[in-house]
Amino acid sequence: MAYFIFGFSTMVMFVALAVLLHLQFGVTGIVNFGIAGFWGLGMYSFGVFLVHFGFPYAVSLLLATALTGVLAFALGWVILDMDGQAVLVATLAFATIVMHLVTTEKWLTEGVKGLGTIRYPFDLGRSTEAVFLLIVVVITIAIILYAYKLHSAPYGRLLLAIKDNETLARSLSKPTFHQKLIFFTITSTVMGFLGALNGSINQFLIPRMLGPGVTFTVWIALILGGYRRVLGGLIGAVAAIGLFDLVIETYTPIPAAYAQMVPAIKLMLYGLTLMLVILFRPLGILGDRKRSYLHG
Amino acid sequence: MSFLTNVLVIALTEQAPLILAAVGFTLIFYLNGFINVAYAENITLGAYFAVVFNTIMGLNFYLTIIPAALLSGLVSVITFLLVFRPALKRGVGKAEMIVLSVGLSFFMRYATKLAFGAQLRLFDIAKPSYWMVFGTGVTSYQITALALVVAIAVGLYLFIYKTNYGEIMRALANDENLALVSGINPTKVSVLIWFIAGVAGGLAGVFFGVTSFVQYIMGWDLILIVIMISIVGGIGNVRGALIAGFGAGFITVAVTLLTKPLYAQVVLLLLFIGALKARGLQRVRG
Repeated sequence: MAYFIFGFSTMVMFVALAVLLHLQFGVTGIVNFGIAGFWGLGMYSFGVFLVHFGFPYAVSLLLATALTGVLAFALGWVILDMDGQAVLVATLAFATIVMHLVTTEKWLTEGVKGLGTIRYPFDLGRSTEAVFLLIVVVITIAIILYAYKLHSAPYGRLLLAIKDNETLARSLSKPTFHQKLIFFTITSTVMGFLGALNGSINQFLIPRMLGPGVTFTVWIALILGGYRRVLGGLIGAVAAIGLFDLVIETYTPIPAAYAQMVPAIKLMLYGLTLMLVILFRPLGILGDRKRSYLHG
Repeated sequence: MSFLTNVLVIALTEQAPLILAAVGFTLIFYLNGFINVAYAENITLGAYFAVVFNTIMGLNFYLTIIPAALLSGLVSVITFLLVFRPALKRGVGKAEMIVLSVGLSFFMRYATKLAFGAQLRLFDIAKPSYWMVFGTGVTSYQITALALVVAIAVGLYLFIYKTNYGEIMRALANDENLALVSGINPTKVSVLIWFIAGVAGGLAGVFFGVTSFVQYIMGWDLILIVIMISIVGGIGNVRGALIAGFGAGFITVAVTLLTKPLYAQVVLLLLFIGALKARGLQRVRG
């Protein structure tokens, strides 16, 4: 049961990240390949504040989220006026920098030895994990509801206009750069906040958790489900992670000799799926959203 | 002064394959206008081809270079024909093209891991002879790599700026419709460019492998720096890639000697983000 809760929490985490990526890429057109960077920065700085400095839980959570926000703002200010390709490589570079620094700064993060133990904010005995999972689920539902609200709000239409034709939006005197910067900062900060929560779910942090696999999994989830739809991230994450991590890795009897091949096969199939979706169904399982531009 | 000469010699010898990879990468970027992340796997596979010829089939290291290079060129052409050309024909957007190449990259990387395992592989080579250059030890393999890099870079430079094919390539990259109207066969030229780029990437992998080790992740570890060099050097600019590649090598070696190897990566990536901003080329106008 504990293992199931862990797997399910991880899946919910990826659902939330995929919906946030939908807001960044599907709505605003920001190609963020640095998800592991923001998420990992939140996770590790939370761990450092909590374990290394011994701050209270809430203070650590707040500081970690704020730190991610400041760095997301700084990065966004530098890169968001560039085109998609440049944003992609710059965010990827940011995530790589975060992973390298987590590895080298042993005095702070314990390096590859790992940082632990990260406790839960409360101790309810055997139901601690389940209650924490419930909190993460509620936060994820809140993000999904916000995304829905955004799609029918004037602000959401402004962001969509920036994605479709930024020059036009600017010529209509919309401050496109500022809007992108604020929105990117907020969504990336939430990624850091989720990372901090993930610290409690994992209990023990190692630099390898910040590898490119996280970013890649979120992208595959969103592209598979349909990046223009709020529920695309949900469906994609459930299909990709739920199917693999929960069903195959946990419940399918695989001979021990082959068990270590499963993660490699998984990432290989993810790559194949991503290629097939982009080639044959670019808008994913759900396709495009019907949209009325007349009322709102 | 000896620190500077040390850095110069090590940068030239150890980082020479990086320049080769960047030159190959920049050609594809120039021709098709998207960042091909799967080029990382081209580097890795070049190294694996050579190491398989060398350790399993027992060929002399120098004899493995040519078949490994040709095979990586072939792999590059196959990825173009099977994945990227259909995608370009379907009008997949630029950002989506990169996501597609990331998908291909993951597919190839973990297929390589399944086929060859995660362990480090070493070339079975005779102990290299050491030469002393300005007080720094240099192996004969590094000298070979450097000589090949110089030869290939000069060859590519002549190819792009002095031959008919180079002109056709530049025409295609600048205005595909105009090139089509002039009767240029885009597939033939594209296949040739992807082959040359694959050969360059494969050779880079072989020489990275022989100076250290071969592992399925090696290409991925290099690709960000390769992307960075080709953007900073100017897309499609072989001269720029040479200069930026050497600059990146110089910074890597200098920071590594002074602190730790991972700091060198951090410094390079920070400089890269700064360079992206400073060049302003990629900026959305207005």
